[in-house]
Amino acid sequence: MSVTRRAFLGGSAVAVGGLVVADKLRFLKPAAAAAATAEQAAGTASGGALSGAELVYRTGHSNNCDGACGHLVHVVDGRVTMVGPAPWGTKTVSGAPAPTFHPRVCLRGLSQISNTYSPDRVKYPYKRVGPRGSGQWQRISWDEATSLIAENFKRVQDKYGKTAVWVAPYTGSLALIEGVVGAGFRFASVIGASAGDSEGDNEGDSATPAGWNYVLVDPANPANGGGFFTGHESVDFLSAKAIVFWANNVAETSIPDWRIMLDARQQSGTQLISVDPRFTPTAAQSDMWLPIRPGADTALIDGVINYVIKNGLYDAPYIRAYTVGPYLVDPRTKKWLRAKEVIPGLSGKAADDYVVFDEADRRLKAAGDPTLGSAALFGRYGQAGLQAPTALQLLAEAVAPFTPERTSELTDVPASQVVALAQAWGTTKPLAVRAGFGLSHWYHGDLHMQALLTLQAITGNIGVHGGGVTTFAGGLTTTAFDLLHWWAPNGKPYTLLEPMNFCDAVEKGKPFPVRAAWFMVDNFAQQMSDRNRVVNAIKQLDFVVVSDYVLSATAELADVVLPACTYFEKTDLLSSNNFYLQYMPKVIEPLFESKSDLDAIRLVAEKMGVGQYFDKPPQEYLKEILHLGQKDADPTVRGLTWEQLTTEAVHLNTDPIPYVPFFNKQFPTKSGKIEFYVEMLVPFGQELAVHQEPIEASPTNPLFKKYPLVFLSTHTRFRTHSQYVNLPWLKEVNNGGNGFLEINPKDAAARGIANDDVVRVFNDRGQMKVRARLTEAIKPGVVNCYQGGWDTLKVKHYIEGHPNNLTHQIAKPAQALIPNFPSNAAYYDCLVQVERSEA
Amino acid sequence: MAAGTSTTPHHVMVIDTNRCVGCWTCAVGCKEVNNEPLGYWWNRVLTTAPNQSTSAKKPASENIDVPWGEYPNVEMSYLPVACQHCNDAPCVKVCPVQATFRRDDGTVLVDYERCIGCRYCIAACPYGVRVFNWGGGEYAPGGVVGYGKDYRTDGHLVFEPERPKGVVEKCTFCVERIDVGEQPFCVEVCPLGARVFGDLNDPASEVSQLVNEGGAVQLLAELGTEPNVYYVPTRRRVMTET
Ligand code: SF4
Ligand code: SF4
Ligand code: SF4
Repeated sequence: MSVTRRAFLGGSAVAVGGLVVADKLRFLKPAAAAAATAEQAAGTASGGALSGAELVYRTGHSNNCDGACGHLVHVVDGRVTMVGPAPWGTKTVSGAPAPTFHPRVCLRGLSQISNTYSPDRVKYPYKRVGPRGSGQWQRISWDEATSLIAENFKRVQDKYGKTAVWVAPYTGSLALIEGVVGAGFRFASVIGASAGDSEGDNEGDSATPAGWNYVLVDPANPANGGGFFTGHESVDFLSAKAIVFWANNVAETSIPDWRIMLDARQQSGTQLISVDPRFTPTAAQSDMWLPIRPGADTALIDGVINYVIKNGLYDAPYIRAYTVGPYLVDPRTKKWLRAKEVIPGLSGKAADDYVVFDEADRRLKAAGDPTLGSAALFGRYGQAGLQAPTALQLLAEAVAPFTPERTSELTDVPASQVVALAQAWGTTKPLAVRAGFGLSHWYHGDLHMQALLTLQAITGNIGVHGGGVTTFAGGLTTTAFDLLHWWAPNGKPYTLLEPMNFCDAVEKGKPFPVRAAWFMVDNFAQQMSDRNRVVNAIKQLDFVVVSDYVLSATAELADVVLPACTYFEKTDLLSSNNFYLQYMPKVIEPLFESKSDLDAIRLVAEKMGVGQYFDKPPQEYLKEILHLGQKDADPTVRGLTWEQLTTEAVHLNTDPIPYVPFFNKQFPTKSGKIEFYVEMLVPFGQELAVHQEPIEASPTNPLFKKYPLVFLSTHTRFRTHSQYVNLPWLKEVNNGGNGFLEINPKDAAARGIANDDVVRVFNDRGQMKVRARLTEAIKPGVVNCYQGGWDTLKVKHYIEGHPNNLTHQIAKPAQALIPNFPSNAAYYDCLVQVERSEA
Repeated sequence: MAAGTSTTPHHVMVIDTNRCVGCWTCAVGCKEVNNEPLGYWWNRVLTTAPNQSTSAKKPASENIDVPWGEYPNVEMSYLPVACQHCNDAPCVKVCPVQATFRRDDGTVLVDYERCIGCRYCIAACPYGVRVFNWGGGEYAPGGVVGYGKDYRTDGHLVFEPERPKGVVEKCTFCVERIDVGEQPFCVEVCPLGARVFGDLNDPASEVSQLVNEGGAVQLLAELGTEPNVYYVPTRRRVMTET
């Protein structure tokens, strides 16, 4: 490496920043510092050294990040002084060796101290005294606040029905007691209220899980609980020979996981391939980057499937053994042909069996026929005028138009790269896919996942180490936790109201009226798509409660704001995106008058006559959820002791280790096989994963003339959704915390936009203003504005508005087939225009 | 200049640019463990072209994460830069009061009790990694964080939780940690395992292997400052086939 002196003397010295490379480091000018008040620092006064004994706790980072890192938290004199990475337990619950897992942390985790001690903390309960959203508050006591909540909830329930109170606990935390599966659902159940979905963040992360369930799960089977979603344990990627990062910027958003990918490359020469319209840090370190047109993902996958089939690169034995590939489809109904329809004399189970064509004796047979030699994969078979194709034959025909050239036209990926990707896919085994939730932020996000699984099925990459399609994996999605009894201790679960249906419920009373809401661990009024509509709906409510540790855009719309704790100030358990149980002890007392959500709920519950469901400390609820010490504890946690749980991060008993879903090749579908031909999607014309254009963000959309830019709102390493955004350390290295619009210089030039100009981004739903950042990292025709910045009365990270002023809430009907993932906010399926503007 | 004797370790740090993803965790960790005031960064992460020679290439942008080239033929790499702990350190030479000194293990430190704030060292350092404490610093979490105690080596006061006004500060290789056998905090927190710290006198150490066989290089080696921080150059990858 030759770096000359000039590299470091590019400009005049900026003394304060230190490093003299002024022309590259102007962004490091000291931020207008947030004033540190004496009040926020309980403990050592500024200026002195730390005194007193240092206590070190192990906890888990429960913010809404897939990292789920373990942290060591140092506490001196009751104040947190340091956060660092924590080691992992080396054993499973039952004592088997756990995989080697590096201690992990990132810049957000390290910044948690400044989050807990932030001047932005809500310190006391408040009630609104001016018009809603006016920012006029009066400090009240917890007693008054909880009385107000109880009275208003009772009044609304009496007048409009029990479900008119909507509880919305979301993914601001992934912990058990408080968070996406937390006590809010229990509260909703025992007061008979409605609540949002708990299976995960429905606000855009449900489409790919729905697609996953189409292919791998029978949603109608009660044993599947309405659908689930899991993936491979992170360290399983060490077994892959190639890893495709599909719409997944791991190196920036799940930073510690990227180490595993680099380790795989270093140890085994694993090929890293990135598919992304943006040149991300992930793309920059990959061996191949495919710069795809946003939303054309299924087209590219179809191109690969076509190449794999045409060139015989599929895994025939795997397709025969584990997929519906050889099963015949009735061409009249597009449903599965049943044995009794073509084979006389069958009775019982065999009569309803699937039908295959035996290549050995050239006869139609029931799939379970013991005389079956080798089922035909391709072709049309039958009798008396009925020529029934195999499912694989239908797939081959459906993707036949996706030649490398046609695929290139549809995706903007060069044909040579389509071939290179397909060649790698067909010849490298095992091959793993990491699919980002960005892939889910599309109207056809379900289809993208259906297509990826189809490709992984025909190449024999499902249920094997180093294979699969992984978005999210881990404890929350296992059976380790008895969530049903946790949520509904009285046996009567809350009524589900999807976030996507919230506005209809308020505006039209459909499917039932909602007149009051309690938002917790969520910033719904900013982070939900079609924000203008959401804010209007919230303003129409009779009564709004928000629990938060900062005065978020949602809290500003509340009638009562409750000061919540950060995770240092309460006890919980994290089991998310890895297979470890991470006990989260309370490491400091709640600051100011903040309370854990469990404590806040208890106070309200007592006043509503259901206090008995919340009268235990969190430790006791954890024991109940885990069935700790009981014989009927789930096998993944059976034999776990409280001491084990609270002394180290213990790995679940998984089979195999590292965990791989469907390792036993038992698929919980109707057929027991991988159903890449999805019979239940026939009414939607989506039985096979064939590319469809995005619902909005497509050049085929007439709206494209008016709004010719695809608008993405992706994640940055400097925040987790709307958390960590306003922390001084992170703001100093992230443009002062100010949002910007990534735009290609070509698109900018066509609009007379220079770097740093203020621009207006707009469509029919709304607008935002922000400064332009010209960068060759983004595809012409696409713009991107990192989401999550605050748009509150006091703090504005964009000049005006938020990316969600532009996004929509168009749900895809097919998804309703999967009860747990019925609707999805297609954040990225969005068109805008951009113009220069005045600040 | 020979570094250390056979009994004294020769401390070096090696940063693998093939692993660094520009995440700033090392820099934030440095800020945390050393209680650096707002606006001060002892360690920071530049966006560069792979193996950048900026004499030939202008920065693509003053902003981070902006690549070189024209979409989709673009490239980007990252370069974390803190004090290079030079064996022949210009800052040591110009210090009129020997406040800046080099320990036998290769660590270059500032004695805060001797520093008179003349800032000759800031001008002399070719890497621009020193910061001057103008005083009145503000601290994000509203209290001391990090190591939190004074630390002396051979009687020199080389760490204080809050440095006095008017001294020059910089990376200390986390001297208070390495002296008790721990890793510098940036090495411990780097989520990519991109940073390796160890003893160059030990031929079996990972740093020895990276320096002797891994092709690790020094920044501005031609200046003869002999840094004890090395960088593993970026191996080229085929990014697009257009
Ligand atoms: S934010 Fe995510 S990656 Fe960073 S420390 Fe927390 S869990 Fe780990
Ligand atoms: S923490 Fe590691 S990967 Fe991140 S910027 Fe620093 S050296 Fe690079
Ligand atoms: S990098 Fe600069 S401050 Fe550090 S030893 Fe070298 S000359 Fe001195």
